[in-house]
Amino acid sequence: MFGVGEKSKILYQQQWQGNLSEYVTAVIWSPDGILAASSAAGEVVLWQDGSLINLLPAGLASIDCLAFSADGKFLSAGGQDGKVRVWKISSDSLVENQVNLISTLDNTSKWVDKLSWSSTCNQLAFSLGRYVQIWDADTQTVVATLPFTNSSVLDLAWQPNGENIAIAGDGGVKVWSTKDWDDDPYLIDMPSASIVTAWSEDSKYIASGNLDNTVTVLEYGSHLPWIMRGFPGKISNLTWSQSLANHAPLLAASSMEGVAVWKKAIDDQDGWDARVLTLHNDKVQALEFHPNSLLLASAADDGWLGLWTKAKQVGQILEGAPHGFSSLAWSKDGQRLAAGGRDGELIIWSESKRGRGFG
Amino acid sequence: MVATTSNTVPVTVLTGYLGAGKTTLLNRILTHEHGKKVAVIVNEFGEVGIDNQLVIDADEEIFEMNNGCICCTVRGDLMRIIGNLMKRRHQFDHLVIETTGLADPAPVIQTFFVDEDLRDKIALDAVVTVVDAKHIQQHWDAEEAQEQIAFADVILLNKTDLVNPEELAELENKIKGMNKMAKIYRTQNSELSMDALLGVQAFNLDRALEIDPNFLSEDAHEHDETVKSFAIVESGELDGEKLNNWLSQLLQTKGVDIFRMKGILNIAGEDERFVFQGVHMLLDGKADRPWKEEETRKNELVFIGRNLDEAQLKEDFRQCLV
Repeated sequence: MFGVGEKSKILYQQQWQGNLSEYVTAVIWSPDGILAASSAAGEVVLWQDGSLINLLPAGLASIDCLAFSADGKFLSAGGQDGKVRVWKISSDSLVENQVNLISTLDNTSKWVDKLSWSSTCNQLAFSLGRYVQIWDADTQTVVATLPFTNSSVLDLAWQPNGENIAIAGDGGVKVWSTKDWDDDPYLIDMPSASIVTAWSEDSKYIASGNLDNTVTVLEYGSHLPWIMRGFPGKISNLTWSQSLANHAPLLAASSMEGVAVWKKAIDDQDGWDARVLTLHNDKVQALEFHPNSLLLASAADDGWLGLWTKAKQVGQILEGAPHGFSSLAWSKDGQRLAAGGRDGELIIWSESKRGRGFG
Repeated sequence: MVATTSNTVPVTVLTGYLGAGKTTLLNRILTHEHGKKVAVIVNEFGEVGIDNQLVIDADEEIFEMNNGCICCTVRGDLMRIIGNLMKRRHQFDHLVIETTGLADPAPVIQTFFVDEDLRDKIALDAVVTVVDAKHIQQHWDAEEAQEQIAFADVILLNKTDLVNPEELAELENKIKGMNKMAKIYRTQNSELSMDALLGVQAFNLDRALEIDPNFLSEDAHEHDETVKSFAIVESGELDGEKLNNWLSQLLQTKGVDIFRMKGILNIAGEDERFVFQGVHMLLDGKADRPWKEEETRKNELVFIGRNLDEAQLKEDFRQCLV
């Protein structure tokens, strides 16, 4: 599985640890290196260089999703109470009076568990039952309500070039053009439900992880998707690697305790080749490629956070959440890694000087 | 799904027609001082009168797992919502799921059999069906009414004050013909002891066959209903391979019509009882405790379903004996 020598390599070392009062539902970095984390007790905190600011205290309803706008100036949070909160961050470094709640969208009785900002403008998309709403931070208004119709929205993803937004649910993925919200969406039809969806960084490929234990990949614009099989259960996580010279990026997916990495064959007709990564013995809760290398991080209920060098071998195993990790995120520069745990652990590792050059 | 470790959260599925008394029962469960923190998932038309963070609205969303087969449908909304709720499970220790009056209970149960995230963490406790003793007659032929009765582990024969004793006795007999596994309680205003409702463990395989002994020995009654329940009791040992072939064939061909089945089996060469239960095409079984010395080893199976050929099933089962 992995050599003893590999295991002792230090790629990242712990820099800071704190605690929220409950299961950490989301961790996310801003482009300025500010970390935001939320919990199932409804807490939202910001962290930078060891200082912590509480934006929301523990309460009764959970916060389940967080997102920073592409310019790092806005943070949004959604959760069980149906409220979508937006904070404006007026300075590059973390100063308490520079973070202000500017809007609360109240959607009583809907559980808002997916939200995401466009990477090209300050528009926020969030799930609202069978709909996705698009909220514009500049005008502070809802500019579009997109009806997914078939079922509740299970995931959403903006195309990195800003041209489209993909919405996943029962029956597949529907893709709306951001140029004309009223235009009919393009349907990537599937025999079961699409649970997670992700665009590659170059906006070329879209992947969908499905309820029927398959992954669908479409080169957007083509009409013939590839379908990958062989998973033990439904697909929980998808992540694309950075763009590669002369080659399609790698795609990693997790299903139950298993992780697999796909590499596209040179010829389209040969499809994609899979490599199975064996380490975890309980459900993988989070999976994310490093932003500018092929280092892959997998965090699982077994309390292990695996770092996979070149998306192949275990380079290092990080610990610190004995009852399981629940979430993870790489900082935009890749120098830091944050993870949350089932018991509220919040841990930050930073790139090790010793390890540099060997990853 | 049937793991019995203390880490699993028991789930009660509450069915019944609109107006039968489900909401009254839900409010009782939420306000009763039973020392349990109960989370309740209500359908969109639910009118639970209590402001409670643990009351969650859901749309009934049926997802097909496999080309439109009824047996492979699950509730997509429950996978999502319970997945979210399970993140903080020490905040509640029992889950109640209300279904709409027109819903088939099977997809709810199948969700807990099929979903990898839920089946180890959720233990289905019981299907509780509230029946309006006065108005059920109008719905008797409706598929959903028959399914709700056939799937039940606990039946509240509610509003008994609105019918006379003869009508009530007749109704109870009719229900027993369809489903003899269920415990029937005559109630008014959905009043029933919480012990009879929560923590019933009807889906626990270890208790899978705590069936009324009279039921198993009783000769099958002839009923006009297309939905009925019956038992097979046979002494002797079963050939494991033959049994396997028969069961998989049966589930493939009759899965749609079999609502529920339970059984304790005596497999040749095994010292332990084999217990199983199924919902439509999904079957869950395991080796149970060893047979006791003084115990008569035998096979007991119970079927509830529609248009089942009892004689044929009995004959086919006998063919599996060594």
